[in-house]
Amino acid sequence: MSGMRFRTPRSAAASLLVPLALIAITALLGANGTPSLQDTVTTILCNLIIVIGLQVFVGNSGVYSFGQLGFATAGAYIAAFLTLPAAFALLQTPGLPHFIVDAHLGALPSILIAAGISGLLAIVVGLPLMRTSTLAIPISTFAFLIVVYNVVANWDRVTGGSSGLVSIPSTTSVQSAALWAGAAVILALAYKWSASGYRLQATREDEVAARSIGIGVMRERLIAFGLSGVLCGIGGALAVHQSGVLNPATFYFGATVTTMTMLVVGGARSVFGATIGAIAIATVNELLRGVENGASLLGAISIGEAPGLAAIGLGLILLATMIAMPNGLSGGREAGELFWLQRLGLSAAAPAPSSATTVEKQAIDRPAKGALRAQGISLAFAGLRVLKGVDLTLEPGEALGLIGPNGAGKTTLVNVLSGFQAPDSGTVSLDGVDVTGRSPTHLARDGLGRTFQAALPFPELSGVESVAVGAMGMGVSRRRAIAVAADVLGRLGLLEQARLPAGALPPGSQRLLGIARALAIEPRYLLLDEPAAGLDEAECEQLVTILRDVLSDFGCGILLIEHDMNIVMPLCSRVQVLDDGMTIRIGAPREVQADPAVVESYLGSSFLAGVDA
Amino acid sequence: MTALGQNLIDALALGSLYALIALGITLVYTVMGMMNFAHGEFIMLAAYALFVFADLPFGAAVGCALLAGVAIALIAERVAFRPVRNADLSAQLVTSLAVAAILQNVVTAAVDARAQSVETPAAISETTSIGAISVPNLEFVTLGLTAIVLGGLGWLLYRTRTGLAMRAAAENFEMARLLGVRADRVIAIAFAISGALAAAVGVLIVLQTGQVSPTMGLTPVLVGFVAVVIGGFGRMFGAVAGGLLLGALSSLLGVYLPEGLAPFRDAIVFTFPVLILIFRPHGLLGGEIGKARV
Repeated sequence: MSGMRFRTPRSAAASLLVPLALIAITALLGANGTPSLQDTVTTILCNLIIVIGLQVFVGNSGVYSFGQLGFATAGAYIAAFLTLPAAFALLQTPGLPHFIVDAHLGALPSILIAAGISGLLAIVVGLPLMRTSTLAIPISTFAFLIVVYNVVANWDRVTGGSSGLVSIPSTTSVQSAALWAGAAVILALAYKWSASGYRLQATREDEVAARSIGIGVMRERLIAFGLSGVLCGIGGALAVHQSGVLNPATFYFGATVTTMTMLVVGGARSVFGATIGAIAIATVNELLRGVENGASLLGAISIGEAPGLAAIGLGLILLATMIAMPNGLSGGREAGELFWLQRLGLSAAAPAPSSATTVEKQAIDRPAKGALRAQGISLAFAGLRVLKGVDLTLEPGEALGLIGPNGAGKTTLVNVLSGFQAPDSGTVSLDGVDVTGRSPTHLARDGLGRTFQAALPFPELSGVESVAVGAMGMGVSRRRAIAVAADVLGRLGLLEQARLPAGALPPGSQRLLGIARALAIEPRYLLLDEPAAGLDEAECEQLVTILRDVLSDFGCGILLIEHDMNIVMPLCSRVQVLDDGMTIRIGAPREVQADPAVVESYLGSSFLAGVDA
Repeated sequence: MTALGQNLIDALALGSLYALIALGITLVYTVMGMMNFAHGEFIMLAAYALFVFADLPFGAAVGCALLAGVAIALIAERVAFRPVRNADLSAQLVTSLAVAAILQNVVTAAVDARAQSVETPAAISETTSIGAISVPNLEFVTLGLTAIVLGGLGWLLYRTRTGLAMRAAAENFEMARLLGVRADRVIAIAFAISGALAAAVGVLIVLQTGQVSPTMGLTPVLVGFVAVVIGGFGRMFGAVAGGLLLGALSSLLGVYLPEGLAPFRDAIVFTFPVLILIFRPHGLLGGEIGKARV
């Protein structure tokens, strides 16, 4: 194999072990302390699990949810129902079905069942919610939180209503909470580093680019939402088994703000950030509460109690973090990715691999026959007709140049071909199958790759991750995705930079990375929207060489939107000229270049001609 | 028939209140792209002005509430929201959540966590009869105020230079800025109006419930958010429509829901937008967020 990896074993180990060590240290400090300190530490660890649950969804998707505490509520009540002694159950929850009252489960099975049901609830709730937009999700999840509160607070016969439940067996110890927290860290990192986790992170980095490489945004968000529900359910169940009491407000708005503060202050993008955020904020919170109560202890002084002081402090910390340090204490990095840790030698940045092995083609089964065909595509934006019955055929293995003046409709045509824009009329067929109106995600899986006029990098993912996630969008294994990425990066001469975050690369490299990313889906058709924009002369020559290699090695058809004839001429066997939404010429590059009508359209005299006609 | 007419007026009044909340949120959203979680706390703080200035004549206290709403909105904009103006939607939302938490707890610390009662003019709780229907005076006030606000906003947005600047900023903020629209001023004006709307809502809620509490802004802000989502983001008309729809639904459910389900009215009201979003992911009037920029 190439030896290409996302991270070195040492870096991975540091990312995993540092949070685990922090949890272990916290637990050790608590386990040997007073009973009240033990309670405090257990609470911190339960909160930590909920914060990691939040991280799984919020951190990887970049979409905020204010509803995850609803799943903690669900987990807590279910765990309470399953363990409440019968005498208390009859008193507090007369409406509960007998099989639940009679269950009398131990702590562990009750937590597992609570986790399962919370996860299931998250999937059911997430199914409609994940369909909505990035800004509607925070609001609709907030609505969900209020719905849960409302139901729990008013369903008196089952939940005990707003007065809540008491006498729930207290079984959670510092040790068990620490073990669960450790498991949560491992689960969250395993997810983050899985193919599914990478696909979701790609949607966070750039939703449009993610869809163009076959990633189903809704599906990936839903998976993380469900997993987050499981973890929050566990956190809630453990917490109720610690305190022994539960009411509808336990996991409501206040707890939502607290856990969100923990996540944001630590740095939402990393599990490490969630861990240090939860521990740091809990510590600050305890200190502030000490001040609150301390003031009341000194009864002689007229300060009195200051309820809300701790919450004000947390709010100020959250506000200051958002303004001054939006990536949080961890900078959004895992422990193994931190520069100072690498300096200490705890984790070394992986050396760039010197060579890549080629990967056998056609691992993804697709029919080898046919072409990408558009027929009579018309499209108007608010009455402005951008495309007026355009036909286009792209055969596998050929390069077709698509040229025309600005505003001719070239990009719009590519958007129609790749599913980002539905045509008003006309059809698009792929290898003989009508695919008009299919989503970009779907079309990418059918073998249609594309790039954009802007590079649209995944700034926080490394070069190799950015490209591998393209293969992951096709559902191939992680190992194979990395091999594909190494192969493609090697061909494009990007291996040296593959370790760096894509956002840190120079513009030319980001552009090539966009092409590499599209190639990683092993497309049969590749649509390139002005790939040479912003490249210098040497880079343009390199681009021509690369695209020529792509043509011969990948055998895919390339549709090339490009103004620079020095790129179109050597690559394309045919050139199609669009002007004002219509095809005015198709032919060999030399013929087209010599055509007076084409020259005119570039000079702008077609405007006059259009008036005459 | 009488009962139906009565219920419809009640529904319209509640819907108007919700529309006022949604308008305040939308106004800020259109010029700044931020869903302001702290709008509920603007409402709450304005309401507390009625509590603090209870000794003044009620009209004067209302004036104080109005000033309080505008002032807190302007301060929050200057101190908290201006620094994150260019951050992404989610970061702005979390920032406003922080502001909400701070304001809520400042009031808790300064006054009390428990609700405080506020004396309101007796005339407001009386009813006026129109034929067979007797309408609480408060509903007249709500409907009248909403009509005035809608008219005033319409005049401001479509008949004044400031309104033109605001609409331009809402359409394309960067371009408006390049063309000489003063961003700071437009955003400050939007916040000031939003704060005034919040104050109006705060006063109406106090008139209705006769009390104030630190968490009283939570449900209104959620109502406003949901109304904005239903109406399609960033559309004044959509916000009003969403507010009316939600208010009417809530009001009518309160009347027609079977007794066993009555306590779950809020749960049903807030589940309803989810049902809408299943079929119309971008709201009823379809303003699209994060639309593919390709």
